[in-house]
Amino acid sequence: MKESFFRSMTWMHTWVGLLVCWLLYLVFFAGTISFFRDEVTLWNQPALHSLQAPQERIALQREQIIAGVDYLKATAPESGRWGIYLPTEREPQLNYAFEKPRPEGRRFGGWQDYYINPKTGESLQQPRETKGGNFFYRLHFDLHYIDVRTARWIVCFASLFMLVALISGVVIHKRIFKDMFSFRKNKGSRSWLDGHNVSSVLALPFHIMITYTGLITLIFMLFPYPAMTAYDDGIRGFFNDVTPTNVRTKSSDVPAPLTAIDNVLDQIYTNWPNADLTRFSIKDPNKASATITVRASTGTLVRDQTPTMLFNGVDGSLIAKSVDEYSSTEVFYDSLTALHTGRLANPLLRWLYFLCGVAGCIMIATGCIMWAKRIRERMKKDQKASFGLKLVEGLNLATLMGLPLATCAFFIANRLLPVGITQRADKEILAFFITWLAVALFSLFKRAKMQWYLLAWVNAVACVSVPLINALTTKGSIVSYLLNSQWALFSFDLVCLVCALLFVLQAKKLRTQLNSPAANTRSNRVNKNSLVEQKG
Amino acid sequence: MYAQPVNKVPTRNPLIKLKMACKANVYALCVVSRFSAAIVGGYIFTAVFTSLLSLILPLKKSDAVLLSISLTIFVYSCVFIWAFAVKSLKTIWITILLTSSACGLSIALLKDWL
Repeated sequence: MKESFFRSMTWMHTWVGLLVCWLLYLVFFAGTISFFRDEVTLWNQPALHSLQAPQERIALQREQIIAGVDYLKATAPESGRWGIYLPTEREPQLNYAFEKPRPEGRRFGGWQDYYINPKTGESLQQPRETKGGNFFYRLHFDLHYIDVRTARWIVCFASLFMLVALISGVVIHKRIFKDMFSFRKNKGSRSWLDGHNVSSVLALPFHIMITYTGLITLIFMLFPYPAMTAYDDGIRGFFNDVTPTNVRTKSSDVPAPLTAIDNVLDQIYTNWPNADLTRFSIKDPNKASATITVRASTGTLVRDQTPTMLFNGVDGSLIAKSVDEYSSTEVFYDSLTALHTGRLANPLLRWLYFLCGVAGCIMIATGCIMWAKRIRERMKKDQKASFGLKLVEGLNLATLMGLPLATCAFFIANRLLPVGITQRADKEILAFFITWLAVALFSLFKRAKMQWYLLAWVNAVACVSVPLINALTTKGSIVSYLLNSQWALFSFDLVCLVCALLFVLQAKKLRTQLNSPAANTRSNRVNKNSLVEQKG
Repeated sequence: MYAQPVNKVPTRNPLIKLKMACKANVYALCVVSRFSAAIVGGYIFTAVFTSLLSLILPLKKSDAVLLSISLTIFVYSCVFIWAFAVKSLKTIWITILLTSSACGLSIALLKDWL
């Protein structure tokens, strides 16, 4: 559309990026936290902190399932669904859950959890009501307060824009290797451009991978058409074809005794010796239509579909079993999703995922700051800022500084809200959004350096107070986590402290700039000249 | 005899009003058209193209669907970028409409819808 391909791509990169950068920042921010979803949930549940996964975790599973079925038989014989969630490496607790009575018109009543210490078999102090890491996981693609389907479409389009911006970003990049090592400090928008380049180029394969595979995870909503064309009964026909365990059974009210669990377990272990089971669930227990579904972990395989077996719950016969051997196309498709969710990652790889996600946040943040900086630098002295520039600056401040603060508020609310209050989980989320709204209103009022400086301090204080309040309200603290080698909890507190340190550094930097406005304008002028030189 | 100052006469005709407004905002309209070509046009083309692909790929039915579905995003982003790289808006719209209808027609023929 412009004179040359290069300039068209530059134009597109700027506008496609700017249009969705704040939403993308939210998606990347929440997604990055979701890599540690189980660990965040654990931190939000002080009742589970002292738990440690037993050494012989897999060997205990058989006994745990039998005990669980006995417990559920005695406690909830009328419930529509039972679920036995076995401890994993990242989630230490054993959970015997059953479905609560369904409200009128609802298809699912929600789970009533019952947490158990897997080492001793004793019931645990029942945990507080919280969404934990699942809040960020859902926020990452469902947003909040709006219809899930609409939200997913919005996130999908933002991701598509992201992918296009990434590709055009590579195109407009002349010296991809050199930029990896260049960072020019204190040069106005030049420094921001360097920051943008470093964070994009260093983790470029990750950015492209995560955006592409992210779209693939929602692809059947975005593009159902190939499946609809190839199969006469549409999407459902396709899913029934690829997942043999996707069998729908009609619920019946006729009572029938549950099959002997030993028999089912024998079949499981003959099919999968040494299986690491994750979930054992029974639909319509004590009814003629009872079915038993068993899922096993995929471990560190690059595979997303969990191995599943489906049994008849009355006579104990095997109804269906997931495919063991994938065709090469299935492997290709499934590995795309697996790469995105990162369930395969061991701790080291998980940290790499996390750091790359942080690089993505930095890339987006520096991009939107740079746009505003450039316009400001190009403005004449007596020129007034346009509405567009003010809007971008306001959204920058509200999103970049508001989101970390809101996250801290979420964790602080988790510790300070009384345990017994109704709808506690929703109130934690409310704390998140109210804090964010407050920052947004604040940035509506003014968006100058002074406001960034103030919010940097507020953020720093909030980040420090998360581990501090944790130490005051629970039995553990960052020191005890280190001594007892509770690495998940220790890392959580440590990340908070590192963030606090970064915010302090930011505040210090802004303070020096606020103190010497003269030096600041001079550097801007130098920078303008260098820009002109560049163009020439 | 005297030339009428045509421009100053306020017109009542909404069509002419629209035309004048269009002329004043030609650049903005071009940008809107380009974005819709990229987003909507790209979406339609990708949808029919990958649907056709799922029919003609020489693989098992489920594999053909999975492969074409994995390629959708690649196709979509290529069309998106192409819509910004080509200078003429007319070329973009005509190409998208022609190729999409060709793909659609092939699907209809393959599925015996006609």
